[in-house]
Amino acid sequence: MKAYLSLIRIDLKLAFRNRSVIFFNYLFPLMFFFIFAQMMGQVRPISYVVGMVLVLGILGNGLFGAGMRAVNEREQNILRRYKVAPITPTPLLVSSMVTGWVAFMPSAILIFTIAHFRYKMTFPEHMMSLFGLISLGVITFRSIGLIIASVVNSMQEGNILIQLLYMPMLFLSGATLPIEILPRWGQIASRFLPASHLVTGFRGIFEENQSLFQIWPSLLALVATLTIATFVATQLFRWEKEEKIRTSAKLWVLAALAPFLILGCYQIFHE
Amino acid sequence: MASDIPVQVEGLTKNYGTFPAVKGIDFEVHMGEVFGLLGPNGAGKTTTVEILEGLRPRTGGRVSVLGLDPGLQSKQIKDRVGVCLQFTNLPDKLKVREALELFASFHTRTTSSDELLDRLQLTEKRDAFYSQLSGGQKQRLAMALALINDPQVLFLDEPTSGLDPQARLEIHILIEKLRNQQRTILLTTHYIEEAEKLCDRVAIMDGGKIIAIGTPREIQAKTLGQSVIEIRCDKPIPNVELPQWNHSEKSQISADRKSLAVISSHPARTLVEIVKWIDQQNIDLADVHLKRPSLEDVFIELTGRKLRE
Repeated sequence: MKAYLSLIRIDLKLAFRNRSVIFFNYLFPLMFFFIFAQMMGQVRPISYVVGMVLVLGILGNGLFGAGMRAVNEREQNILRRYKVAPITPTPLLVSSMVTGWVAFMPSAILIFTIAHFRYKMTFPEHMMSLFGLISLGVITFRSIGLIIASVVNSMQEGNILIQLLYMPMLFLSGATLPIEILPRWGQIASRFLPASHLVTGFRGIFEENQSLFQIWPSLLALVATLTIATFVATQLFRWEKEEKIRTSAKLWVLAALAPFLILGCYQIFHE
Repeated sequence: MASDIPVQVEGLTKNYGTFPAVKGIDFEVHMGEVFGLLGPNGAGKTTTVEILEGLRPRTGGRVSVLGLDPGLQSKQIKDRVGVCLQFTNLPDKLKVREALELFASFHTRTTSSDELLDRLQLTEKRDAFYSQLSGGQKQRLAMALALINDPQVLFLDEPTSGLDPQARLEIHILIEKLRNQQRTILLTTHYIEEAEKLCDRVAIMDGGKIIAIGTPREIQAKTLGQSVIEIRCDKPIPNVELPQWNHSEKSQISADRKSLAVISSHPARTLVEIVKWIDQQNIDLADVHLKRPSLEDVFIELTGRKLRE
């Protein structure tokens, strides 16, 4: 327990000393919030914009914040130092997830505050559900970042794999472009993306006063992905850059995202 | 395996795929001893040490550290030994003090961080970021982290590699202090002087095998290596043909003709003759120096190669 607490404390300190963490967690979402609010403020409720910005933040926090950082620490021989300490990978992975969550929450609260006071957003009925979905979203995307880190052999590979997931989720999930304006293929593709389920989840909570239980299929998929990704990330964890992993290991990322593939198929067949 | 010997290795082998990195080695490190694994890069030193630390599985042989098997009880071993690895880093924005607190939290038994900072002359740097430290300070911090659990056994892998002479000297002094505290130290190095200066016993490794083992003096004595007798005279040696002294191989006079260097396989006998001859020339001795074969010479003799080739 002592190790977990120390790692979380140190990880948080390191996070807040890192300018890119501040930028991607705070300035970047804020910037998008104002841009989207200006662009869509007339045609959409402000809560719609809040949902989009939350998803953007969660995507960046998980894929880049957890994923790239973990690869970087391995490449820089930092994990090698941890390897000689009597700890397993689990505290390192857990601490990364908790740190991501702690770093993200103030940003979410900041966006809510601005949306409420500046744009007159009304808070949803189920605040706990909103809090729950944000938290689950952050932790699940951190775990996806960590599984990417565990299956790539270099920063370059990590970058490619992250972009391969980030780009579709950026444009096809409703986080930037509204799903309605996407072509048919885009709308179908969006069903398979975890980020889309966050977008619709936030919309349900804000606009239809839904609670977490009413969006249980998305919730289940998030929990399943979190569980698989975390488990596989502990199993494939490598302390040293010299320990290469075979290319086929990258398929584990698909395995971790399988709950969303199943959910997407289920939704398409039941339309 | 006997439990009062902290490190025991018997018939250790390690293959990376089909490449045999360690080909069956045996040695023991006794309580309170500084034991050096000396050899060129790729000799198998680091692999050996990393197997002992519980970082790598071995292919064959028996290994014991503090009575534990690194292959099965690596967590207990990591908790009790101190390790200073080659090529490690800490996050740039981590402060010295935080690094010690963090690594202390991983161990069941710890020593005072303040005292360690003091001992390693890092107190002034306690609030500095890792990225702001010099190479020597980073290495001292690595040593401090290795000592955070007050270990009785330390593994130091190339502890002075890449450091400037001053920083290297500081690490040497520290290792000497640790030896005085009766800690058992296994260090690897490719610096001959380091092994000669710090180690009670040395094993010379080459190509995955131990090719010589013993105290530096014993190893030097076992070989056919020749000593060099260096003599300085108070006035120039006359320009006459030098005699062929007993057991001497080669003689050389310096440009000012005041110094004489003679290579000999039996320096005592050769020296007596030289001194007699110099006396006969009516010259007085200013200085006599006997250079025994170094571990480097031994290495060259055993392998036909230089250590750092």
